[in-house]
Amino acid sequence: MNIKNLTNGLFKENPIFVQLLGMCPTLAVTTSAMNGVGMGLATTSVLVCSNMAISLLRKVIPAKVRIPAFIVVIATFVSIVGMVMEGFVPALFNALGLFIPLIVVNCIILARAESFASKNSIMDSMLDGLGMGLGFTIALTILGSVRELFGNGSIFGVSIFGAAYKPALIMILPPGAFLALGILLAIYNQAQMKKAR
Amino acid sequence: MQNESLFVIMVSAILVNNFVLSRFLGICPFLGVSKQVETAFGMGMAVTFVMTLAGILTYFVQYFILVPLHYEFLQTVAFILVIASLVQFVEIVLQKMSPTLYQALGVFLPLITTNCAVLGLALLNIQYKFGLLQTVVHSFFAAIGFSLAIVLFAGIREKIEISDVPLPFKGFPVALITASLMSIAFLGFTGLV
Amino acid sequence: MKDIFKTGIILFIICAVAAFALAMTNEGTKDQIALQRQLANDAAKAAVLPSASSFEDLDEAQNAEVSEKFAPVAEGYIGYDADHNIVGYVFKSLPTGFGGAVEVVTGIDVEGTVTGMRMGNHQETPGLGARAKEPLFYEQYNGMSASDHIGVAKSNPTETDIQAITGATISSAAITSGVNASIDAYHFIMGN
Repeated sequence: MNIKNLTNGLFKENPIFVQLLGMCPTLAVTTSAMNGVGMGLATTSVLVCSNMAISLLRKVIPAKVRIPAFIVVIATFVSIVGMVMEGFVPALFNALGLFIPLIVVNCIILARAESFASKNSIMDSMLDGLGMGLGFTIALTILGSVRELFGNGSIFGVSIFGAAYKPALIMILPPGAFLALGILLAIYNQAQMKKAR
Repeated sequence: MQNESLFVIMVSAILVNNFVLSRFLGICPFLGVSKQVETAFGMGMAVTFVMTLAGILTYFVQYFILVPLHYEFLQTVAFILVIASLVQFVEIVLQKMSPTLYQALGVFLPLITTNCAVLGLALLNIQYKFGLLQTVVHSFFAAIGFSLAIVLFAGIREKIEISDVPLPFKGFPVALITASLMSIAFLGFTGLV
Repeated sequence: MKDIFKTGIILFIICAVAAFALAMTNEGTKDQIALQRQLANDAAKAAVLPSASSFEDLDEAQNAEVSEKFAPVAEGYIGYDADHNIVGYVFKSLPTGFGGAVEVVTGIDVEGTVTGMRMGNHQETPGLGARAKEPLFYEQYNGMSASDHIGVAKSNPTETDIQAITGATISSAAITSGVNASIDAYHFIMGN
């Protein structure tokens, strides 16, 4: 067991800012900070469960059919998370809509299954899933907060700029998603370059 | 939605609710395979082929297997399995039947299984309660919309590659900002339907 | 050959376990999901027809006729007061908005006044169409006369118009079309 597996995903190998994986939900659901957190946590729970299950089965699954087997495992956990969410947090479930079942095809999950969980022990895989999931959640929350702040003048529904603020609606509309992520990535790159120097 | 005319579905799938630029489906290939117009076109064709077939197949799986048996809760698992097997199947058939086409599309096929545009399309067709004909039209033209976006985007990126971009923006950031501008342009189609 | 056999068996076992796990989860969460939907439904009905204390579904034949003739109306309910007198009707309609079907719940009392409108599940744009969830928008419908269709105005609405949400004319018009279809269904049921 190695704690580094947990911290890796948070910053050094952050799935969004560094690996650029899982872009679809990243762009689509981050119209508010709350949606970002919800999507992030839903993905995290699937990632932790699927990483553990696949690590457990890593010696049983034949190499030739590992991808379909991984997909079945992932799809199962996604469906379970979806049903639980619909039952207990229906408002969030409706806000995220289509992107809950689409967690199945989130590249992050299959990528971790293939490159990490199928080669490492259960505990390490769990930590890796948790780290990657939380890294994903952090990135989504930042993106959601930025878009909500400029597009609606609030963060987590709490008004920041006051009633006089004329919201820049474009940030909440689809173009704003691309724009906000592009600028955030550039800021991240700038910070990395400064560090390197 | 059941009664929408095929023409409206077509226009809305290509322009108004463009899969990439307004629904955010299929972003990974959109950003990943769009450095050259030629490869982008190949990806677009492969996706169109698979998406149309997948739309039809999942329609039958939903209404002839899952609904009669009340197994709707297996929808996600069933659909992704159908898509994964379909992609494999297309790959094998293409290899045997048309080596030229296989050479052109082959490298893109494995990527399509995890392209959320395909699964997203299948789920949307069901959500909108489309009939068979509407499913076919929607599937095909949504894929055309995807191809249109990715080819246009690749055309712009080819130019960006050789222009002087501020260092922190090089690569993905500037590509995302380009996509944002394209998305704004597509917003202009909003009033069409 | 033996290899294929073994591979097949393993894949089959994984799928079987997956299907079993899903069936169990489905069994476990089914009631909870139904309950949540019921709660949301009840809350919306009570909100749009506050004078009613209990609701009943329209009888099946009438419901089928209404949803057939007055699409996008999907379902109708009868509202009763404490003494079991009919005080009004509630209709659920599913017009097409900007991002897909929008659930619109409309209440109309027996005097022919629209008593309320709420938007349920929707895929409208946050900050634009989704603002139909705000009282500023939906309270416009309260007290409107059901004798005629309600119009949508971008500015300076008249007595029979509602003011569209800025930048979300499509959503506003879609919701209003749901309300208007409900008004038609109401007149049909009232028999005039």
